Amino acid sequence: MIDLDSSQFVVRYNVRVEKDMAPEEVAKNLFPSDEIIRSIAVAVFDGDEDAVIDGLTIAIQAGMKPLELINNGLMAGMDIVSTLYDDGMLYLPDVIISAQAMIEGIDHCKKLSKEVHKSKGKIVTFVVEGDIHDIGKKIVTVLLRAKGYDVMDLGADVPVEQVVAAVIKERPIMLSGTALMTTTLPAFNDVNSRLLKADIHVPVVCGGGAVTQDFASGYELGIYCEDAEDVPKIADSILTGFDVQHLRKVFHKH
Amino acid sequence: MSIKRYSKMAYNDPDDMFFGHCCFPVKVGLDLEIGAGYTTAEVKYAPRAEAGATKEKLIDEYERITRDIITRMVQVGFPSVVLETEHVHSMTINAEWGGEIAHAQKAIMENYHDEYGIKCALRHTPADIRREGECVDLRGDLYSLLMESFDEIASNGADMLSIESLGGKDVFDHAVLRNDIQGYLYSIGVLGTIDVEYLWNDISKIAKKHHVVAAGDTACSQANTAMFIAGGLLNHKISHTSAAVIRAMSAAKTLAVYEAGATGPGKDCAYENTIIKAITGVPISQVGKSSTCAHSDLMGNLTMQCCDLWSNESVEYHGDFGGTTVQCWGETLSYDCAMLNAAIESGNTKVLRDILMISDRYRDPQSYILAYDNSYRLGQTIVEYSDDIFLRAKKAASESCRMIEEASRGYLNLSKFEKLTLAKISKELVSLTDDRDIFMDECQDKYKAEVDTFRPENYGL
Repeated sequence: MIDLDSSQFVVRYNVRVEKDMAPEEVAKNLFPSDEIIRSIAVAVFDGDEDAVIDGLTIAIQAGMKPLELINNGLMAGMDIVSTLYDDGMLYLPDVIISAQAMIEGIDHCKKLSKEVHKSKGKIVTFVVEGDIHDIGKKIVTVLLRAKGYDVMDLGADVPVEQVVAAVIKERPIMLSGTALMTTTLPAFNDVNSRLLKADIHVPVVCGGGAVTQDFASGYELGIYCEDAEDVPKIADSILTGFDVQHLRKVFHKH
Repeated sequence: MSIKRYSKMAYNDPDDMFFGHCCFPVKVGLDLEIGAGYTTAEVKYAPRAEAGATKEKLIDEYERITRDIITRMVQVGFPSVVLETEHVHSMTINAEWGGEIAHAQKAIMENYHDEYGIKCALRHTPADIRREGECVDLRGDLYSLLMESFDEIASNGADMLSIESLGGKDVFDHAVLRNDIQGYLYSIGVLGTIDVEYLWNDISKIAKKHHVVAAGDTACSQANTAMFIAGGLLNHKISHTSAAVIRAMSAAKTLAVYEAGATGPGKDCAYENTIIKAITGVPISQVGKSSTCAHSDLMGNLTMQCCDLWSNESVEYHGDFGGTTVQCWGETLSYDCAMLNAAIESGNTKVLRDILMISDRYRDPQSYILAYDNSYRLGQTIVEYSDDIFLRAKKAASESCRMIEEASRGYLNLSKFEKLTLAKISKELVSLTDDRDIFMDECQDKYKAEVDTFRPENYGL
């Protein structure tokens, strides 16, 4: 059997470009300075649900308002996680575990507050009818929630009527759908035309193995998304006023 | 149901494993013999979006695809070809659709075989439709419908039966997003294994009834999901060392397919197939450098090392500069096979195998554990604990950790994150019990509480 040093024909670029600092070291400099709030943000970063609730309890006993703790403690901790994820220093399971801790914390604060917490915006996610491949949709849903969006996850194999009804009822800022099977793609066209008929011009972000940029560009509301990580960025762009054409210019990479 | 477990290796020495040869070749279809001294292209395709509208349009689409592929094979002078039709949902739900399509494809293949003598066979892979909304429903009415689909295709022209089964996906999807080692083991080693045994016991009976081949399955919904999420070198969704360990575990699950009656050729997207070949001696299909139309991977050459069929995974049927996509990719695959076959005929099999293997061996921990010598070692670990489906998956996982760690002190470069993840997995594996019953009880409680969609009755638990 041949065995030899492969460095002439294999380069593990992930090793070559790896940053020297550990994510925990970077995060240390980003946590809020107030000691009580800092403990909440650190607990979110660590994904420690019990510590999140303990931190919130201490903060509320100290007179802080639950809704302020959502933004200043919970979301602040999550923002650090998202930033380090975007920088390639944290990985998806880190985001998921932190997001879960943040969501527990938000639910806890909501229970203790008479004021209503407003999310950044509502988004509907789904897998098209006839398709059950939903891991991509699950990842998108978590990443959006981690960024503070209120996500209605319709699940997999969702009929067009159900998608359209959810949009009419919830009025989301965008839709995010996935498809892995070529024959299920017409569902995107159906969603597009039914929404236009109802005079709803919400961007329909679509991705998954069967979807191409050319396909998504072929219908009026379509935005192609190659990577789940781009979906929260698209949502953020919509909040800043981007329309479909502008979104395509930025996020259509090919 | 009595299952005979593999407790020893089919090969005495990993060096005896190579492409185009296996211990138990499979005669199938129209004069084809798989693993009997030559490799054959396996061309796979997906119909265009608009073709899914009606049964008639789908039949027409698959007839065009079949004709295109076989014509190109004849035009360029390739001696054999396999076609794999992976069902779209409607072809399995409406069992007669799948049957009519298999019949139409086979009629075309028979005509070409009669006229030109090209050796060929047709594999059909029904969609695993056993799912209602967010929940898998593995043993209910949809199971009967799935079996009806197998019966229809087997009685109408399909030579080989396959599936990409969903068992274990409920817990796995939860685990992979959390890098939950216990969840990996439970979903793959226990739940997935229980499901494929149940499923393949029946598929094998159908195959026997219709004198066709119960070919094989894959851990697609687990190991390939992990591989795709792990992505390329610059992606950072999950660690490549995690994906490698998941792949090692998955071989213990896929092995159960053959213990339940399948005879190969194993399904193309089962990257764990080299381990399966080492244990069982059945022929295998593989994907790699000529399946870039479907997805990217980090072992495009290495996977050819022991293949018997060489596949493109899937490509949408449409026009391209060099013909239709199935013609272009079919030709590429067949030229690859011509090279492999020339190596066999000229006595250079092992040299080419080793070149293919070494070109990707250190590209990634995932490719490292699948190099044929390492696959063999993983196979030995699995058969050592053959009677315990949980323990053999656990030991394969531990062995893969050990192998990667050892290699990282040599030519295999790992990032700090990959090393950290590997250390975490190794540590957690050590901390988990070796007792199957304790493990299963603990996991059943844990995942019933954590995963809304997990229903133990799907697995007879």
